[in-house]
Amino acid sequence: MRALMLVAVLAAPAVAQPSGRVVGTVKVTESDGQPAGSGDVIVYVVGFSEPPGDKVAIIAQKGRRFVPDLIAITANERVAFPNLDPFLHNVFSQSAPRKFDLGSFKRNESKEKEFPTTGVVDVYCNIHPEMAATILVVPNRRHVVAGPDGKFTLEGVQPGDWTVFAYTRRATKPASAKVTVKAGAETTVDLEIVRGAEPAHLNKYGEKYRDVGQTYR
Amino acid sequence: MRTALAILIAGCVLPGTAHAGRTFYGWLYGTEVMPERGVELETWIQEENDKYGTRSKETWLSWGAVVGVTDQLELALPVELDWSATEQADGTTRTSFTFKRFGIEARYRLAPADPVEATALVPLVRFAVKRDVTARDSVRLETDAVVSYEVGAVQALVDLGAVGDFASGSSHVELRPSAGVSYRATSDLRIGAEVYSEISFDRTVESWATGGPNLSWTHGRFWLSGTFGIGLYHVRIAPRVLWGIAF
Repeated sequence: MRALMLVAVLAAPAVAQPSGRVVGTVKVTESDGQPAGSGDVIVYVVGFSEPPGDKVAIIAQKGRRFVPDLIAITANERVAFPNLDPFLHNVFSQSAPRKFDLGSFKRNESKEKEFPTTGVVDVYCNIHPEMAATILVVPNRRHVVAGPDGKFTLEGVQPGDWTVFAYTRRATKPASAKVTVKAGAETTVDLEIVRGAEPAHLNKYGEKYRDVGQTYR
Repeated sequence: MRTALAILIAGCVLPGTAHAGRTFYGWLYGTEVMPERGVELETWIQEENDKYGTRSKETWLSWGAVVGVTDQLELALPVELDWSATEQADGTTRTSFTFKRFGIEARYRLAPADPVEATALVPLVRFAVKRDVTARDSVRLETDAVVSYEVGAVQALVDLGAVGDFASGSSHVELRPSAGVSYRATSDLRIGAEVYSEISFDRTVESWATGGPNLSWTHGRFWLSGTFGIGLYHVRIAPRVLWGIAF
């Protein structure tokens, strides 16, 4: 009889755990206190882990820029870096969570990297110093890009006491707030984040770029 | 919260240099290769002094461009020069300086170039074809099977090399087994030790072996490695230094 019960339990369809949602608004200001213009802001929750999704995120190289220049992925997910420009690009990172160098590759070629460690990964091109992007590698899939009006909704957050972060490129530091998420309920949180200047970065050899402001193909 | 702090701290860590030492050894080939379309100029200088109990001195200089064809395959175009001084029976010393060989070599890493994606055990194979400038009918073939194993800051490496000189009517083949260990003392500096040998199968060339400490240093786009080889068999000292600069 116990064996039959066990079979019945194993055969039963998986029931989704009850979850809650976190909604709110992120306000971005420049370091001088002025309201910031448009720019992507990513909101994510920290405190629990989830397995990675199947999708491969994309950061394209187009018009001597990384597009988009800020994404969030779950640890162990992959990012593809297609080159859509008619000249060579390089992609490298010297950030501690994920150092890599993809070499130089030409138009319509793409290379991928997996990111197993959580953290902030700054990505650059060794040929074009104006190109910069940031990959937030977070421990779960509860991350979202806030809308142009700063509003966001994080769905499917498991119940518990967590910390919600907001991050944008050039942020002087992430903004955060504690939240308590309850099953089937909505939790509201508002965040304010300060944006500074684009920090200077070095090339992949740890040197200053030559002829800053001028690039070559 | 700890994860969040880790994220913040990780983002604040200052970057180091991107280019690791291509080989951490003096006589042994390493298992790192150039990234795709990377270009590097490499130079090798080696001495073989007082081989086989004679007062002979020999210095090899080799340099060449190295190009990353893919992230796992690189091509090198080495040019070799040879200076030698041999004491004659009458007490005089005969010296010569020769443009010895040029050729092409391929080094293929049988593992992803990314250290995060690669396993601890990394094999690499090397093939080279070189033309002997002084013996026009001669060709040299070289091959190496290299395996490195990395645990934490320590890398152990075995390099099983073979060299054959083939000319019309004659040939010479020798094995060049070698092994070494390298310890990462700092992010840019490694120290270790290695042994290297050339084992001949005919009487035209004698066998010899050397061993000693090695050092490898990386600084930005520049790297330097070398060993001070102390004679173990049929040679007194055999130091070797190599360096590369990436573009």
